Amino acid sequence: MTSKDLTLTNVSRRFGTVTALDNFNLHVGVGELVALLGPSGCGKTTALRIIAGLESLDSGKVAVGEKDISKVPAHKRNMGMVFQAYSLFPNLTVEENVAFGLQMRKVAKHSRLKRSQELLELVGLPSHAKRFTHQLSGGQQQRVALARALAFSPEILLLDEPLSALDAQVRVNLREEIRRLQISLGTTTVFVTHDQEEAMSISDRVGVMSNGVLEQIDTPDVLYNEPATAFVANFVGVMNRIPANLADGKVNIFGKNLVASKKGSETGKIVALLRPETILVKKSENQGNAKVLTRSFLGASSAIICQTHEGTIVQSLMASLNTGEFQPGTSVDLEVTVNEVMVANG
Amino acid sequence: MEGAPLERSAFRFFKFKSVLPALPFLIIFSFFFIYPISKLIYVSFMSNENNFTFGNYQTAFTEPYSTGFINSIKIAFFSALITAFPGAIAAYFIETRGPSKVRRSLAMMGGVLANTGGVPLAFMFTAAIGMQGTLTKVLKYFGFDIYAGTFSLGTFTGILIVYLYFQLPLMIIVFSPAITSLRREWVEAARNLGASQLNYWLRVGLPLLFPSFIASFLLLFASGFSAYATANALTVGNVPLTPLQIGGLLDGNVSAAQLNLGKSLSVVMILISAIAVIPYLIIQRKAARWQR
Amino acid sequence: MKKRLDLPLLTTLGALSFFVFVPMLSAFEYSIRTPLEGGYGLTHYKWAVDNEDFFHYILRSGWLSALTVLITLIILVPTVTWLHLSDSKLRPLIDALSLLPLVIPVVAFAVGAQISFPEFVQNTVLELPFLYFVLALPYAYRALDIGLNSIPLKTITEAARSTGASWVRTIISVIIPVIRGAVMATVALTFALSIGEYTLTVLLHWDTFPTWVTYVAQENILGAIAISMMSLVIPFVLLTSITLLTPDRSAQRRK
Ligand SMILES: Nc1ncnc2c1ncn2[C@@H]1O[C@H](COP(=O)(O)OP(=O)(O)O)[C@@H](O)[C@H]1O
Ligand SMILES: [Mg+2]
Repeated sequence: MTSKDLTLTNVSRRFGTVTALDNFNLHVGVGELVALLGPSGCGKTTALRIIAGLESLDSGKVAVGEKDISKVPAHKRNMGMVFQAYSLFPNLTVEENVAFGLQMRKVAKHSRLKRSQELLELVGLPSHAKRFTHQLSGGQQQRVALARALAFSPEILLLDEPLSALDAQVRVNLREEIRRLQISLGTTTVFVTHDQEEAMSISDRVGVMSNGVLEQIDTPDVLYNEPATAFVANFVGVMNRIPANLADGKVNIFGKNLVASKKGSETGKIVALLRPETILVKKSENQGNAKVLTRSFLGASSAIICQTHEGTIVQSLMASLNTGEFQPGTSVDLEVTVNEVMVANG
Repeated sequence: MEGAPLERSAFRFFKFKSVLPALPFLIIFSFFFIYPISKLIYVSFMSNENNFTFGNYQTAFTEPYSTGFINSIKIAFFSALITAFPGAIAAYFIETRGPSKVRRSLAMMGGVLANTGGVPLAFMFTAAIGMQGTLTKVLKYFGFDIYAGTFSLGTFTGILIVYLYFQLPLMIIVFSPAITSLRREWVEAARNLGASQLNYWLRVGLPLLFPSFIASFLLLFASGFSAYATANALTVGNVPLTPLQIGGLLDGNVSAAQLNLGKSLSVVMILISAIAVIPYLIIQRKAARWQR
Repeated sequence: MKKRLDLPLLTTLGALSFFVFVPMLSAFEYSIRTPLEGGYGLTHYKWAVDNEDFFHYILRSGWLSALTVLITLIILVPTVTWLHLSDSKLRPLIDALSLLPLVIPVVAFAVGAQISFPEFVQNTVLELPFLYFVLALPYAYRALDIGLNSIPLKTITEAARSTGASWVRTIISVIIPVIRGAVMATVALTFALSIGEYTLTVLLHWDTFPTWVTYVAQENILGAIAISMMSLVIPFVLLTSITLLTPDRSAQRRK
């Protein structure tokens, strides 16, 4: 079975007074991995469950390829889903778990066990076939869950925060494996997470959600460099929020006049949004415009956190070379290295 | 010269200290439980003249005591069998669909019915379906005379009916945790993988519930097998049940040639009860592995 | 949110209510019959309550049960806490021992008790709370075990000890409050079991409220029925209304 593309059109879903999804639109191309990113409670899981058919929708349409599947029951949808945790059947062995989808599709026993072994090799657990799931670590369980979701070659792969219950190191390794597998199998994939680093590192495109609405969907680079809204700007990557005055489309930050890049209705008191790497810290001979609070050495780069004399906390990210002189308490001059700036209401 | 004994006593003191906090419990438990049960077993092998004998056990398997065991096993088995399925199904609907207040108050009520039972239950049923009972009259009014045949509360059937009244709540209480431990993720994963509702139950739901169901059945069996109060209040020694026979021997109501017959009957009861309770405990322990 | 009628649940609840309440209400109707005057009245209930033995035995059962609860808490809370803290080799043993009473039918236990204890134990009613303690042990122990498993006991204890609290103080003012849910469950289970215990009590020839009812039945069956109704219905109504009135802590338990 080859992968297909996925389209959600004007999907809405309410739970009592809570609107979990509000006219939600999404298109995922064939073989593409799209991450849905947003804070907890913004409707990511609801979107995924509606795609899987595990949740009903109030209005709108879900289509796979050309076909409207809004009314198709979950067990006839041919989508593989990986849950947050604890979704493996504890009464079945690892290989029986992986083969479950094939068994439901009436595949003969020897071929489904063969396929099961193939998948277990793909996820790096070839020798665990006969074990029971409570004998596996959390990371291994999620690998098995992934194998199970892929075993029957689903048209769409759905992952609902599959890594959030795991340790940091396992999380990073497994997300890269998921990506590697997804590319080699070419499966259309929706990956739900609240971890922006996770979303940015493995996706073709990332959709940022807030309150049941898709704020922006784009490649990680575009999201980071050209956020469409202040919410996206704040949610993706680290962002400095520096209070300033907007006049004639210009903002003065640390003595430099910057062009406000997005024309909005904002005037007067605003906050300027600046990435840490656009801020340069220089040692000052006199008072300077800020003082160093802390310096964290991150390897090639260092994060230097300063406080301006007005009290604003500003983070800078610089090449580590020569940042050793920025000890806490040092007077420094902050400078902005870009000419345009995004602004938001103060 | 002094080194060795000192060291040894220090070592002993250390060992002693490492069990000291558990000592009050161990002493009381040993005195009030281990000791009486051990003595019971010991005395069950004593003749009237305090010589070792198997005689008490030989008598235990003759009439009327063998019938007592058979009846007790029968009443335990049937009262468990009749209530196990309805109880399991009720537990399922209550746990999966009941609002939390309903679940909690039913658990409370079940606890009261399953445990407070005993004698009050017997009198309640006398008032309901005794010869002059209200329900008896109501049923008679509708043309259904339960006393037309040989029925009476003091018979095997009568006792069985009353037992159902505490066995069903017990089943619901004991089986509910198994239902709660079925995760929503399992149904959803199964659906997602292409399983129909039926396939989910056949391949996942029922296999997961089955051990707990058997365990609950065994516990019900043990509960029905050991019950004394209800049967004692309902009968006048006319239905041979082992607990009643032991009670009679203990009270000296029944003249027995062998003074220690009650002890051997008790030990056999313990063995039969253990055959049900120990597998129950083992299954529960195993099921706990995924009942997080 | 609209609440839809849940047919399977309603059917279940209906069937259960039928099962529970038909005998109960029938018995109630019977218990308020007044054959002498004809019609209905609370004569038998009044007779029971006016009987001076009624409160005598309730009181006696009450303090025996309270004593059982006390013994259970004093013995069990420190023991189980210690087992959890010390990783003692005794733990599997005591875990298993605590389940043993479940295996022994109460009748058999009563026979053992009758032939074992020295005179001074058999002659005092105070033997009962200790025997009730044994009967309730499997439930009480498990409740406390679960309660202590669900908290970071080591950290809490070390924190309390580091502020200079003694062991007794640590248990009373830190551990018990933290596991009060489990302690309350233990108290409830132990008290309920003791106050309703019949078999052991009657076979050891002691009189408590549950055994008194059987004596009443010999002279006044209607009075005994009235007493039985009270002892079934009052805890039933009391506990259920407590449950319904207390706020729901487990509402957000699972999603
Ligand atoms: N079954 C449900 N019943 C009621 N409210 C729900 C249900 N499922 C989700 N919600 C609500 O819908 C909103 C979105 O939930 P969800 O999709 O789970 O968010 P996310 O996965 O982004 O954390 C939340 O406010 C949540 O409380
Ligand atoms: Mg979610």
